[in-house]
Amino acid sequence: MSLAVVGVSHHTAPVEIRERMAFAPSEASQALMTLRREVGVQEAVLLSTCNRTEVYLFPAERVEVVQAWESMLEAKAGRIERRIRDYLFEQRGDGVVRHLFQVSAGLDSLVTGEAEIQGQVREAYERAVGMPVDPPLAGPVLNRLFQMALSVGGQVRAETPIGQGAASAASVAVKLARKIFGSLKGKRVLIVGAGQTGELIVQALHREGAQGITVVNRTYERAAHLARQVHGQALEMERLAEGLSGVDIVLSSTAAPHPVLTREVFRHAFPSGLRRPLLVIDIAIPRDVDPVLGDESGVFLYNVDDLRKIVDEQVRLREGAIPEADRIIRAQHEEFRTWYASLEVVPVIRTMRDRADEFRTSELERLLRGMDHLSDRDRARLEEFSHRLMNKLLHDPTVRLRKGIRSGGGSRLVEAARFLYGMEDHEHPDSESGKARASEDGNHGRAWGGSKETRGP
Amino acid sequence: MIHLVPLLIYGVALLLWIRLLLKGSDVQDPAVPAGITGLGVVVHAIALGSFWTRFGELPLVGPGAALSSLAFVGGLAMVATLPLKDVGRVAIALLPLVMVMQGVALILGVRPSETALDFQGAGFVLHVSFAFLGYQGLALAFAAGLLYLVQHHELKEKRLGRFFHFIPPLATLDRLGRVGVWGGFGALTVALLLGWAWTVEHRGSLEISDPKVLWAVTSWFVFLGILVARGGGGRNDYRGAVASVVGFGVVIGTYLILRVTIGGTGLFL
Repeated sequence: MSLAVVGVSHHTAPVEIRERMAFAPSEASQALMTLRREVGVQEAVLLSTCNRTEVYLFPAERVEVVQAWESMLEAKAGRIERRIRDYLFEQRGDGVVRHLFQVSAGLDSLVTGEAEIQGQVREAYERAVGMPVDPPLAGPVLNRLFQMALSVGGQVRAETPIGQGAASAASVAVKLARKIFGSLKGKRVLIVGAGQTGELIVQALHREGAQGITVVNRTYERAAHLARQVHGQALEMERLAEGLSGVDIVLSSTAAPHPVLTREVFRHAFPSGLRRPLLVIDIAIPRDVDPVLGDESGVFLYNVDDLRKIVDEQVRLREGAIPEADRIIRAQHEEFRTWYASLEVVPVIRTMRDRADEFRTSELERLLRGMDHLSDRDRARLEEFSHRLMNKLLHDPTVRLRKGIRSGGGSRLVEAARFLYGMEDHEHPDSESGKARASEDGNHGRAWGGSKETRGP
Repeated sequence: MIHLVPLLIYGVALLLWIRLLLKGSDVQDPAVPAGITGLGVVVHAIALGSFWTRFGELPLVGPGAALSSLAFVGGLAMVATLPLKDVGRVAIALLPLVMVMQGVALILGVRPSETALDFQGAGFVLHVSFAFLGYQGLALAFAAGLLYLVQHHELKEKRLGRFFHFIPPLATLDRLGRVGVWGGFGALTVALLLGWAWTVEHRGSLEISDPKVLWAVTSWFVFLGILVARGGGGRNDYRGAVASVVGFGVVIGTYLILRVTIGGTGLFL
């Protein structure tokens, strides 16, 4: 199969390299255009996320296509210590199908089962579909491959717990908040300290609709900076109790050596006790929130260890689902193989028929040359007879060939048919004429033995 | 026999809800258990309809028939929650109640009472229907309250297990409990007023010693207690959940005590 995927991923390149090679949507479109215009790539889809930048190519025999892509990555990365090839991975043939299915299902993600990748694969595919070029960059093979990948991703998530639960501190916080408040729309959030993890969590809460975000920090400027990002307000640390009053979610991540959210502050903020639940997430070490607050009615207090325990549990649960997800991927992979092989059989059948028709025509002409006495009607009858005979002779082999391909006979059957009909050198997809013909038919490639090559640092 | 069919379908639906719970996921689509639950209610309606056509009266009189209708109203309450996101999962707590009611109805026999009632006509139908709605409102509040307490416990204990994933959010359960209590209280009040008006008009005074009147009045005060618990300051959501669970227990307990100790005419109690 003449498929290839080439790029960088979190397996082969650290984040400082990956971020240099990330393509914004407009850059990705531009890159695809360049590949088509400059090296005449036939089908290509570019997937660029924070964990990977990879291009899917079909057909991928031509070295200059891969070289052009590598040059593009090199230009994007700018000056780096090592050679660009040290960070690249490349897969060919069968392995590409499996790779994309795993990517789409979240099995190849940094956090197993994460859901975002499904949307990113869809965006990459739709970008290729929407490119104003003819023939389209998402041609018959990549079109089918990506549609199946999206379907596999959906199936894996629906039928296994691979994407279940929350596998990062931010997603745990969002999950907890949702299980307490239902919708987070209009919920008020207080952030104590403006660390990086806290920032990620508050941005996740903000995306879920949390509003009225108040940032309290020892350095007011830092608080104001974060507050601006989430359309919130900033307060000085001295006004902590004021900020606490009336909030639904508290997120604390200061570097203070002692608790900042004590029972006294709490009493000051809620003099007559809580009227509704309060989710408190303390991700500071040492802890910012006095643990006794967890005993208060309505306070759901989670510290960094609690979050880590939950994340570990969820990751274990997700990893336990990998065999089941693999089973789905294998089944779909097999389906793609069958589909691809069925493409391969079309020119074989056509050649079989063309050859048989050539024989039929020449033999019929020879026969009729010595039978001048026949009327036009009789000649037409003989012609019809020859057609019927040819069709009957070819019917069973054609049907059985298609059936054999569907039931997994694959390339062996195609090879056998080529051998039996003497087509080894005739329109072979690897031959130049075969490639040209295959392009017209939307039918490419031959061998299934995919190869994998990873060039990592 | 036809009254057994909805019970069996409810049983299948309950197993499917339990299966969903055991999967430990809140992303799994509950369409199948919800659909089977809805099918059970439809079949239940057909069974009660066949009672009506067969005996020429609504199945409101006689313990078996009345209990089957009460179970049906519970089924309706469940169906009303199914289209709402997450809320339908409360069926896992409501279905067993509906099944117990239908099961007991089958044991007692779903047939008309041999005793003729004085109170008849549209007023009677409204009286019983509102009473059923009232009790099912309480059952809904109980189911929501029970799940609230389980979810609250999971969150407090930081156990994000199957229950955590399956059970709807606290706020959703609180709202559902509130709707159940207020709706049930309103319906039971109307039912009591209708019954009281008829009794006063035809018998001169309210027969407070009648077990069913005693039970209905006790239930009304239980509702009032839950509403008081839900009002006021502090964590009224948590208090409301506890009060709904306890209140439901009190209503069921009162019924059983009255049935065992005083007994009734055999029409309702």
